[in-house]
Amino acid sequence: MVPARDRVALRPEQAAIPPGHAWNRLTVIGVVCALVGTVACALLGAANPKQFFFSWLVSFLFFLSLALGALFFVLIQYASQGGWGIVLRRIGETIFATLPVMAVLFLPLLLGLRDLYSWTVPGAAEHDALLRWKAPYLNVPFFLIRAALYFGCWSFIALLYYRVSRRQDATGDPAASARLRRLAGPAIIVLAVTQTFASIDWIMSLTPHWYSTIFGVYFFAGSFVGFIALLSIAAAAMRRAGLLDTVISAEHLHDVGKLLFAFTAFWAYIGFSQFFLIWYANLPEETIWYKARLEGSWETVSIALMVGHFAVPFFYLMGRAVKRRGSTLAIGGAWLLAMHFMDLYWQVMPTLHPDGARLSALDAAAFLAVGGVFVAAAAWLMRRQALVPLHDPRLAESLAFENA
Amino acid sequence: MAQTEAELLDTPVAGRPTLILRSPDFHSITEAVAEPVERPAPIGWWLFFIPSVALLGVLGVAVSWLFWEGIGIWGLNVPVGWAWDITNFVFWVGIGHAGTLISAILFLFRQKWRTSINRAAEAMTIFAVMCAMLFPGIHVGRVWVAYWMFPLPNQMDMWPNFRSPLLWDVFAVSVYGTVSALFWYVGLIPDLATMRDRAKTRARRFAYGLFALGWRGSMRQWHHYESAYLVLAALATPLVLSVHSVVSMDFAVSVLPGWHTTVFPPYFVAGAIFSGFAMVLTLMVICRRAFRLEHIITLRHFDYMAKIMLVTGTMVGYAYAMEFFTSWYSGNPYEFFTFMNRALGPYAWAYWIMVSCNVISPQIFWSRKARTSIPILFAVSIVINIGMWFERFVIIVTSLHRDFLPSAWGYFTPTMWDVACLIGSFGLFFTLFCLFVRFLPMVATAEVKTILPQADPHGQAGPEREVRDHRAALAGREPSPEGAA
Amino acid sequence: MAFDPLRSLRAMPLLGNRLPEGPYYGVLAEFATPADLYHACERVRDAGFTRWDAHTPFPVHGLAQAMGLRRSPLPWIVLGMGLTGAALGFVLQWWVHASAYPLVISGKPYFSWPAYVPITFEVGVLFAALGAVFGMFGLNRLPMHHHPLFQSKVFERVTDDAFFISIESWDPRFDPSATGKLLESLGARSVELLES
Repeated sequence: MVPARDRVALRPEQAAIPPGHAWNRLTVIGVVCALVGTVACALLGAANPKQFFFSWLVSFLFFLSLALGALFFVLIQYASQGGWGIVLRRIGETIFATLPVMAVLFLPLLLGLRDLYSWTVPGAAEHDALLRWKAPYLNVPFFLIRAALYFGCWSFIALLYYRVSRRQDATGDPAASARLRRLAGPAIIVLAVTQTFASIDWIMSLTPHWYSTIFGVYFFAGSFVGFIALLSIAAAAMRRAGLLDTVISAEHLHDVGKLLFAFTAFWAYIGFSQFFLIWYANLPEETIWYKARLEGSWETVSIALMVGHFAVPFFYLMGRAVKRRGSTLAIGGAWLLAMHFMDLYWQVMPTLHPDGARLSALDAAAFLAVGGVFVAAAAWLMRRQALVPLHDPRLAESLAFENA
Repeated sequence: MAQTEAELLDTPVAGRPTLILRSPDFHSITEAVAEPVERPAPIGWWLFFIPSVALLGVLGVAVSWLFWEGIGIWGLNVPVGWAWDITNFVFWVGIGHAGTLISAILFLFRQKWRTSINRAAEAMTIFAVMCAMLFPGIHVGRVWVAYWMFPLPNQMDMWPNFRSPLLWDVFAVSVYGTVSALFWYVGLIPDLATMRDRAKTRARRFAYGLFALGWRGSMRQWHHYESAYLVLAALATPLVLSVHSVVSMDFAVSVLPGWHTTVFPPYFVAGAIFSGFAMVLTLMVICRRAFRLEHIITLRHFDYMAKIMLVTGTMVGYAYAMEFFTSWYSGNPYEFFTFMNRALGPYAWAYWIMVSCNVISPQIFWSRKARTSIPILFAVSIVINIGMWFERFVIIVTSLHRDFLPSAWGYFTPTMWDVACLIGSFGLFFTLFCLFVRFLPMVATAEVKTILPQADPHGQAGPEREVRDHRAALAGREPSPEGAA
Repeated sequence: MAFDPLRSLRAMPLLGNRLPEGPYYGVLAEFATPADLYHACERVRDAGFTRWDAHTPFPVHGLAQAMGLRRSPLPWIVLGMGLTGAALGFVLQWWVHASAYPLVISGKPYFSWPAYVPITFEVGVLFAALGAVFGMFGLNRLPMHHHPLFQSKVFERVTDDAFFISIESWDPRFDPSATGKLLESLGARSVELLES
């Protein structure tokens, strides 16, 4: 028999946020942040629209990457028939269900395409042979069609998986799991391709002359680390708040911690591969991107990224005890979320501020605006649903899960 | 048997599928694996061993002639200074990676099905790495100073160039060989003890006993042993990623179009796992039948392996697509030409073999029937390995034969000595593998025993039990007492 | 037999490897299933024995906790060795390229740390793995080709399908007859008193 102290049980009333619980206020908090952020953006952005669009892009990419990471996590759980993560799956589903909302948050960027992407400026290709060559891909109509395609695919997959999973709460039909498992493989392929080209379109083309075949993988690695970091915070916070505290055990936190550790190393491996190969060959058409990120105070940010996004979490998350306790794991998660934001900031901002990092109030304002909407949407969904997939056939296995 | 096959192919929505068939007890596992090693070798073994040794002889002759006459006996020319030699090197190193993946990475992911195949896969890794190390060793030209590759203090005060990927290869592949051998040996110790305790002759008892180090199954020893196993698995995982990444850097750090591209490290690793699993599959199809281990290495194991091949094959396809897109997107005419030349130039025949073998053929594994059909598995695994050999050939030779200066363009044709070295390396591989299955237990019996239901000290608790309790809990009833319906 | 199986132990007594004073090595009890063994181990642990061990053909899940064993210190050994190896690899490369025989290679500075990363990593992993394997051998006192337990005929099946508990005679609570009876009461299939 599984020892009593590790035996977790599911009381039906644990399946939802109880009325009067503090977490019910999350939606309102999100909405307030969003309003404050939007007003700040409007006021400050009127004076400095270029900064606004770049700040919005960074925050948008940050929250989008968390949602895409969530989608990938859940799809992989289905495809591999993983048992341990079932209790955490609903958290991921809630986060990726915000993808249609992210589509709306993308719209402000369309007003600023000329500020963001130099290749969108009319006449840009006239004196630039490379842009003329790339014009069949780098042109605004195709860009817009692709964006619509990405959000279309993501929303379709996200809503399908969310709806079927929630319907299973009521019907308990095991065939739903089987269906989602079968679709997971093709869905992952679609996600991988769309995510790659989205990162090419929205980040890589900020420097239109530059290219890197690993860029899609780099974006994926960062987004997955970001989501697992968010998951660790969410799981620990829910336990602390008395939601799912008898459902999510130290074993689940341990596994989340292991994933966080592994993918931090994976991110570093991909990031270093990209840098190293470009550094070694020293070809000017490739090194421009890194040269820009070693100008002035960007060099400090680059070093901070290496140390903070890899070295520090690597040694912090190595220990067993750290990963098994909610508070210590959540600290690691919060740190890595901040590092993920810094990573995206470091990828995007040097286009606007080539001489060095220049923090702006608009960075915070955009973060509040986008983040507020993201949190409000996820929290709103959380209040209307069970916090774990109640009738998933593998739920019992996940509840009783024990680490080696 | 029909019943077991049916339950075998069924994917339970709850609970875990049965991995070992015919509900054996611990002793019958020991018997099934150890008995083929203890009886005299059957004719079938000799039918594999003799030709392998013959091919090994071919290798010996080819390498001797190579040392005597020089690299000129191969078809290498200007501009194609690397061809079959390095293709074979990368091919064999890639194959080796599946063993570590099965042993280490699947262990970290708690995939119990790995226990049936990990011993043979790890052995395959070691032999593949030995075949791999052969090629950089013999292709240097002045083999008598090959020790210059190692940082040994010398009277010239000279050191190797640590900043060269060729030297990273030396370190990476030798560390990989060493760590794989250590990991394999550590896993073998309990099974060597089993062989020692079953040995009927003094010679066997002495030989197995010597290497079993006096293992007596003490739990205090198992405790440290399991910790070592976990640590080795955790070390081997980044190691295997790094080794093939370092191998890819042989090409990627250059400035040559088609070679210099940032996606090479993860792309090569995915390709290595892809080809390695194909080789494991080929070997296991033969071995499970030869040693009558179909109930331990089951169709379900093949199902999982085929899925992994599908995943890694798709990753390889992704990399092909990204390279192709970026060759256009980069606006670099040399880059674009290289890719057009691959598909339409003099080596188009090699390119399309590569694409059909690597991208198209594994797609058959979307079908459950294909994943559990022995003939299809066997055929496709061989096709994949052919495709992966061609992938390395295409990458190396097409980028070299037409680079920046058209007056330096050329074409490479292999000589009989290139061919002899390749097929001879298969001789080395299969000779070693035949010796392995002859003298050592092919399946990790101790590990397989741990996944049997009887191995669980908590009685009949298991997923089926948990499902009943969970449903009872949701319905507000008490969980049923142990064993009751 | 004239041959003394404990000669290797007498010749090089290791820390904490005291030898039995009396005529017996200890008691060996066989159990039928892992479950029986598990429950018996919990009772033996709770009864206060310290010089005892369980023997199984494969590691039984949770048995280490049932025996009250502390976590293995091996990961610390591995970490230390790994960092040492990485440091050695890095220092070697730095010294060779920036100090001993500096050469300008592809226009990069003498101290090009990115290029040192692959070998640093590999040497670190090598040392860590050596630390894991030889550390484990050290902690397990392997090789130990001779041991009193090998006298027992039943013990030959420990690597096949039999499960055992052995309690050594220099445990303070050991008693040649009482300990054997205790193990029988815990469900042992057979109990054997082994000579030293």
